[in-house]
Amino acid sequence: MELKQTQQVTYTARSRLLKHLWNTKLLYVLLLPGLAHLVLFKLAPLFGLVIAFQDYNTFLGISGSEWVGLDNFITFAKDPYFLVLLKNTLLLAGYSLLFGFPIPILFALFLNEVRNALVKRFTQSLSFFPYFISSAVMVSILYTLLSPQTGLVNRLLDVLGLQSIFFMAEPGWFRSLYVGMGIWHSFGYGSIIYLAAIAGIDPHQYEAADIDGANRWHKMFYITLPSLSTIIVTMFILNIGNILSVDLDKILLMYNPSIYETADVIQSFVYRQAFASQGFPNYSFGAAVGLFQSVVAMVLVVSANSISKKYSETRLF
Amino acid sequence: MSRKKIEWFPIVNNTLLILLALICIYPFLNILSVSLSDGVPVIRGKVYLWPIDFNIETYKYVLGNTRLGITRGLFNSIFYTVTGTVVAILLTFVTAYALSRKRLKGRYFIMLLFLFSMIFDAGLIPSYIVNNALGLVNSRWIMILPGALSTFLLIIARSFLDTIPSELEESAFIDGANEWQIMTRVYLPLSTPVLATIGVFYAVSIWNSFMTPLIYLQDQALHPLQLILYRLIIKPDGGTSFENLTVNGHQILPDNIEAATIFLAIFPILFVYPFAQKYFTKGMMLGSIKG
Repeated sequence: MELKQTQQVTYTARSRLLKHLWNTKLLYVLLLPGLAHLVLFKLAPLFGLVIAFQDYNTFLGISGSEWVGLDNFITFAKDPYFLVLLKNTLLLAGYSLLFGFPIPILFALFLNEVRNALVKRFTQSLSFFPYFISSAVMVSILYTLLSPQTGLVNRLLDVLGLQSIFFMAEPGWFRSLYVGMGIWHSFGYGSIIYLAAIAGIDPHQYEAADIDGANRWHKMFYITLPSLSTIIVTMFILNIGNILSVDLDKILLMYNPSIYETADVIQSFVYRQAFASQGFPNYSFGAAVGLFQSVVAMVLVVSANSISKKYSETRLF
Repeated sequence: MSRKKIEWFPIVNNTLLILLALICIYPFLNILSVSLSDGVPVIRGKVYLWPIDFNIETYKYVLGNTRLGITRGLFNSIFYTVTGTVVAILLTFVTAYALSRKRLKGRYFIMLLFLFSMIFDAGLIPSYIVNNALGLVNSRWIMILPGALSTFLLIIARSFLDTIPSELEESAFIDGANEWQIMTRVYLPLSTPVLATIGVFYAVSIWNSFMTPLIYLQDQALHPLQLILYRLIIKPDGGTSFENLTVNGHQILPDNIEAATIFLAIFPILFVYPFAQKYFTKGMMLGSIKG
């Protein structure tokens, strides 16, 4: 009797599940293309990472290639060039953070002080524009502006009686150009989040400050900036999480063998190993180097996220 | 009558900000002027802001010359952007819709998988091996399929759908609508603002993409404009170096051709910019408000 009842319960539970699945079948069908995309383009490559532990041969495939354990990682760690790559990566990302991070905040602060609506709109729209332009276009413009013979900048240097500089072939100029272009590209876009936060500040605070006799600077530094502190801290921590990531498009477009000593980074090195090498492409080595970077980046992002969660109650995920 | 003190702050502040805005836009104006000028004043360094000896011969030449491949590149870019954006919007919408329905079992786990894929990147080479196995190397699909679902935009679309009250769905159910009708007749029309937002994001990213075609498209007939720009200006090789020529009494020099090509790669952005700016801002806000 008791047994029969349990069976009955299981039976109804199962039929209820089946009925639920049948009623919502369209939802599952709708989910299929997205799931297929996730599996094919996002998760399957993760399994492809095993080649980092192999001596991968295109003709033998993943199942046929020989396992070599950590050999690829050891080779990379022992290579003196590894330090150059790491240094270049960290310096480019570090400088971008150091100079690129405060500018959108300052821009938002000063734009907020503009009372003329027309000037405000004009400035914001134009500062935002470069963000839509591709790296290929930006770097092309850079080439034409900096061209040794006809470029605008060298003509200006000429007028001032200075020597013309072949910027794109000088290792000493690469970092400044990369960082400068990055700032020009995205400071307008980066300021949106701060402008939005400023728009959310309670206007009563300013009115109260007015009554207390605060001037413009007082209000800027004692009301606006402190109100932004949470979002600034969050953005900063998230940016630290990306310290190993550089804009590969830009680097591939801007660098050439004569400036590898300052311009070559981990990712561009991986790219060359697999897609631009003269000899046989070394997929395994490249994958090992890429895996190293992904793991470090993930550790950084996750810890940055938990720090952000702890101190500013804002999180990415 | 009291003398009014001149307020220096707004004057200095406005001037500096306007100057900053002009720095953002000046390189584009210069490129546009060069592309519309005669070659001689360009090479003498006289073109700064306005075209000198205005003419459109450079554009006629650039668009008419098949060896440069710019017309084909333009066509390819438009094709990839339009097709890719339509596919991406549809895919993102149906996925976001399914994941926003509370009756879908396992949606939390699937969302976690998506989030994980956003944080942990397999990298260039494993992706290449998979795409190669799927037959996407040297195929137009490479510009359309892998980028058709961005986790970031999926989250934006899903959080938007979450804000639509579920009473709407219930009442439609009671009125006898089935699952399909609820999605297409109730949720789809309500979602147009968010679809426009993610559409702009997708379109700009496909139009601007450089790494994907560089790695996957060896066949020059498939190259988008960005890659042609790279070939013509940044890595000029023997086969594509330009000669100086005179058309209808106008000198066309390499500088003119480069400028015209650059401008063509920006051109469509000029049309979508007013919309794009609005929606990008909106998307940023939606994306940043999570919790």
